[in-house]
Amino acid sequence: MLTELESAMNSLIEVYHRYSLEKGNYHALYRDDLKKLLETECPLYMKKKDADTWFKELDINSDGAINFEEFLILVIKAGVDAHKEIHKE
Amino acid sequence: MADQMSQLECSIETIINIFHQYSVRLQHPDKLNQKELKQLVKKELPNFLKRQKKNDYAINKIMEDLDTNGDKELDFEEFSILVGRLTLASHEEMHKTAPEGEGHSHGPGFGEGGQDHCHSHGGHSHGGHGHGHSH
Repeated sequence: MLTELESAMNSLIEVYHRYSLEKGNYHALYRDDLKKLLETECPLYMKKKDADTWFKELDINSDGAINFEEFLILVIKAGVDAHKEIHKE
Repeated sequence: MADQMSQLECSIETIINIFHQYSVRLQHPDKLNQKELKQLVKKELPNFLKRQKKNDYAINKIMEDLDTNGDKELDFEEFSILVGRLTLASHEEMHKTAPEGEGHSHGPGFGEGGQDHCHSHGGHSHGGHGHGHSH
């Protein structure tokens, strides 16, 4: 039985696949997939940078898609920001 | 923050909450020291770090590896790297244990079940969000 922390981490995998399985390679978020993910999962994030800017930033190997590892960079950034926000409250 | 959190936001919040449950215990309230990290690893990551030894030496190694600013404690940013690595490992394990066949599928990975309150949209959002917290 997984712990709450472990389940939360697996939940991140689920979120990624909800958008990455839409089309093409199973482990690729294309530009519009990423946009949809950002709009649905972290709308606050779109205010800081638009989806295209995020895409360029996250596509480290410049293959035109966000793989799971690249997606985790977004998660870490969002997490670090959320943590800062909590302490501002 | 919105009343209804997305699955991503909810997962992130859970990770932050668990970090804080341990970080507040000793010394700096927003950082994990060696003892707190050890407690967290033992209690919260029993399946994801199943094969990892959890003696002081092993915990010190994890600490050393993640403590990029060298203050002998882990802040949330440093801890996030561990979360990222373990999530990546979990995903890889799901593919190793996936049933063969067409299309995309996952196996159980490091384990299944557990209380994932971020699982689905809508339904039981845990109320009380917004009361913030301070150390």
